Amino acid sequence: MNRRTFLQVAANAGILVQAPFVLAQKPGRKWRIALVGSGWWGKTVLKEAIASGQCKVVALCDVDASALEVAADQVTDLNGDTPKTYLDYRELLEKEKPEIVIIATPDHWHALQTLAALKSGSHVFVEKPTGHTVNESRAMLKASRESGRIVQVGLHRRLGPHHVNAMKFLKSRAVGEVGMVRIFAHSGGGVEKPQRNSEPSEGMNWDMWCGPAPKRPFNGKLHPGGWRNFLDYANGTLGDWGVHWLDQVLMWTEEKYPKRVYSTGGRQIAGAPVLTELEQTSDAPDHQVAVYDFEKFTCIWEHRRFAENNAEKHRIGAYFYGTKGTLHIGWQDGWTFYPNRDSDLQVHESSQLQQPEGHNLKILWADFLDSIESKRSPAAGIELAHRSSVLPLLGMISLKVGRSIQWDGANEQIVGDAAASALLSRPYRAPYLYPKI
Amino acid sequence: MLPTLSSRLTYGFWAVCFFLFIQLKFGGVSELKAADWPQWRGEERNGVSAEQNWSDRWPDSGPPILWKAQVGAGFSSFTVSNGQVFTMGNADNTDTVFALEAATGKTLWKHSYSSDLGDKYFEGGTTGTPTVSGDRVYTLSRWGDVFCFERISGQVVWTRNVQRDTGARLPSWGFAGSPLVLGTRVFLNVGEAGLALEKSTGKTVWQSSTGEAGYTTPLPWSYGTGTQVLIGSGRGYVGVDVITGKELWRIKWLTQYGVNAADPVIAEGRLFLSSGYGKGSVLIQPGTGAEPEIAWKNKVLRTQMNAAVHLMGYLYGVDGDTTDKPVLKCVELASGTEKWANPDLGCRAMMMAGGRMILMGEKGELSIAPASPDGFKPTARAQVLGGKCWTVPVLANGLLYCRNSRGDVACLDLRLSAAK
Repeated sequence: MNRRTFLQVAANAGILVQAPFVLAQKPGRKWRIALVGSGWWGKTVLKEAIASGQCKVVALCDVDASALEVAADQVTDLNGDTPKTYLDYRELLEKEKPEIVIIATPDHWHALQTLAALKSGSHVFVEKPTGHTVNESRAMLKASRESGRIVQVGLHRRLGPHHVNAMKFLKSRAVGEVGMVRIFAHSGGGVEKPQRNSEPSEGMNWDMWCGPAPKRPFNGKLHPGGWRNFLDYANGTLGDWGVHWLDQVLMWTEEKYPKRVYSTGGRQIAGAPVLTELEQTSDAPDHQVAVYDFEKFTCIWEHRRFAENNAEKHRIGAYFYGTKGTLHIGWQDGWTFYPNRDSDLQVHESSQLQQPEGHNLKILWADFLDSIESKRSPAAGIELAHRSSVLPLLGMISLKVGRSIQWDGANEQIVGDAAASALLSRPYRAPYLYPKI
Repeated sequence: MLPTLSSRLTYGFWAVCFFLFIQLKFGGVSELKAADWPQWRGEERNGVSAEQNWSDRWPDSGPPILWKAQVGAGFSSFTVSNGQVFTMGNADNTDTVFALEAATGKTLWKHSYSSDLGDKYFEGGTTGTPTVSGDRVYTLSRWGDVFCFERISGQVVWTRNVQRDTGARLPSWGFAGSPLVLGTRVFLNVGEAGLALEKSTGKTVWQSSTGEAGYTTPLPWSYGTGTQVLIGSGRGYVGVDVITGKELWRIKWLTQYGVNAADPVIAEGRLFLSSGYGKGSVLIQPGTGAEPEIAWKNKVLRTQMNAAVHLMGYLYGVDGDTTDKPVLKCVELASGTEKWANPDLGCRAMMMAGGRMILMGEKGELSIAPASPDGFKPTARAQVLGGKCWTVPVLANGLLYCRNSRGDVACLDLRLSAAK
């Protein structure tokens, strides 16, 4: 017997596999729901809403008319609902007054749409990260508090069974005292070649897609899906993947925020960003390091979109470094504890994800409906998700200004740095108005 | 509604066109029929070859590799005609059309032109397959470059970019259908419902509206009193008049991202249509009206890219997307019910010859199995390539041509003379 032996956690005394929290289906009551942003992920969330048996899809919205038509066809195919379709979310809210709105647009649209949905009286399920800039997220939090409506954020790892059990293991102190956490996402990649700009797809309102953000020429790299690596509309890998793992760190620690953040990185492999009338590349960093200084530990984020990381066992997740060993919480690969001493056994639990996307939205959706019905805070509610979402946004600010920023988390202010503070908000493209805090 | 027999008779008209050609080539030479594969999905455009000179009784080490080649990134399949093999690939943002000697892999000619790799959400590279017709070879690139080559010399007879010339919308992954040559025309899946060019000059004969194309290869169908061309469009499947381009019927078929990619399958006088992303399939019978009659519709067989193959009342194809544990299935044509399903090897590309399926697994595992509704019972397996293999392998004259997305090509000797 040596440290390479894996123990399934269910067989390991002291750690119990908890059955996922799923609501028994309640007959009769059907929530009238709408989806804003009817692309791949929005429909993935919507399918869980439909699968719950407690939702009637009354309306869909997308700025891409053909994506919208396909989505409506798919809903009818799934459960017979015949949702009305809207190209403008404002018209949808006004005419349909849905009880629940799912917002799965690119990040730059989250704030305005969440505010509008809350104003029209809806509960909101919005994708992560909450905002594209810190003050948008603060405005969303404030509006949610004032409205008395529930805002759940798509941080499904808060409830994913292997995450929950790994947290129990961590909090049982089986890892010892943790002084450092490394969170990461690595993939392959190389030079990014520019792609020719083109006409947006038939029936697409590209101006509306860009919304409050700068308007770039349409390019197939941007839509569908590619906007995650364009800083006008999202915050790169740190915003997309980093927020999940930073959220895990905040799930574990009792601290609410770091006191200092530093980040560096670049596009030394992908190449300088290109944006001309003719062609463009993305502009998010191909690798990045962000250091979050907490009182009792240091948290380091790193990502690379090259080199894969075959030198290590894992390509994505979080390492919690404790005095008794290293705990890895991953994605498809579940979680594993690697003890210091060869004589101790490794502990492993496999993931329990919904495939093929590998998420735990079913549990998150059930928690959302239950929180509305029982008027309690949801598991990934905006109070918590706001704090987690701010962290990648602060990392991006440090990257942009090229220096450490001191973070006054209690007042949500950057200390003594006017240039960095200015990046807590951003100018909106007319006629859109940046939300007030 | 036409009975099956009548449909087969009219279909027979097209077979006559090839009659003289086949006689000249094979008449009296061998008792075992060897067959070329001059276009996507083969001579009959159904994924089935008449090839008989082959065996799956290969040595334990796998079938002998006759030659290897590197043709650049892409998913283009092969066409084989008169001792030449044609395929395409992309390297350094340049497409190259290759004519290789079938027996040796030697490059007989090649032609390159500037073309984006286009690797969003996949490895990128070429996706269409060259079409051979007589002494000409026709190709269509993802971005609309059409070429007509002299088959022997590789000289460019004519070329044009039909996307720019017609203003047709570029589908998300570019054009993927191969050219169809019929009579004096070349048909392309460009525009809302196809595009017809004069094959000798490349001049436009008719064009459809500029709406989004799907990814199928235009397929001729002799139905009723005329011939129509079947097109998988971005928002449905369409039958258009071969002469005028007039739309005869249409079925609305909305698939995620407009990916109507699997070719229609003509079976017993009806059409089997299928797409992935959870969509499903339908068996239709176009009638006199603009909307076809639906025999059945379900989600048993959802072919994302490669079309199913029909044999003796059963469809054989891959159900499910590459990202979602695809499964090889046999489905009864008449009812749409599943006869069996096999999850091994994930995504697979397939052709048939002699009642057997020739399957290429996603990771380069070749397997042979009788096409039977009684079950999936492979008779031979071998690991023949690495990398990602989504491309349909092609058997012609006893040799099997396969490739991966990087453009590594292997020619395997399956001739009876090579069998153990």
